[in-house]
Amino acid sequence: MTNEEKYNKAFIESFGIEKDKLNGLKYQDVISWDSIGHMQLMTVLEDEFGVELDIDDITDFSSYEEGKNILRKYDVNLNV
Amino acid sequence: MNNDDTLSFDLKGIQECQQNRYPQLFVDSIVDVIPGVSARGFKNFTYNEWFFPSHFADDPNVPGHIQIECLVQTFIMTFLCMDLYRGMKTNFVSINNAYFKRKIIPGERLEIRATLDSFKRGIAKGSAESFVGEEIACSADFLITLPDVLENFKPKKK
Repeated sequence: MTNEEKYNKAFIESFGIEKDKLNGLKYQDVISWDSIGHMQLMTVLEDEFGVELDIDDITDFSSYEEGKNILRKYDVNLNV
Repeated sequence: MNNDDTLSFDLKGIQECQQNRYPQLFVDSIVDVIPGVSARGFKNFTYNEWFFPSHFADDPNVPGHIQIECLVQTFIMTFLCMDLYRGMKTNFVSINNAYFKRKIIPGERLEIRATLDSFKRGIAKGSAESFVGEEIACSADFLITLPDVLENFKPKKK
């Protein structure tokens, strides 16, 4: 499984949504991406990629696309 | 702090840690607390409890939602005993796998054993089970938030 597939899987399983909803998805666009869902997503991503996200990155993580930029700061390359 | 590094709380100490008050406080004492790990609580039921006359007049027993409160009020002591979180309010996120195995009647003492599985960014996950003597009374899994902590980790913009 590529890193991008792992990233997508985290969203799909945390929020119970289909893959075609991911592009452009923002915080609170779906009912399951609420504050609780957000913390679940952060935990899944940390476990999956072996990183510990800073609080500023957790509060900046407001969309599917923004999350990719944030993970790159932790040397998580989502193109492999 | 006890000699074995566990913590104990009487009613005053419990109320310093959590904000539940009469008639919604359903644990009398807490012992064997390992902060961030586990806690053991006790609740003594007498006929003077406000709910016994109405549940039920001819067969007084502890309502299920109050049994759940006994479990969760012991469970939250596993993290509200820590200085950083002492006295904070808590909210339910989910209650799963709740089972009620035994009727609890006036005169009985409930022992609650709670375990904290994870605690991160204001979200606590764990479980508790209760006993009358050696008989299991009820059990449940909990997801609980500390809204004042969670607030610090919410995305700033949509």
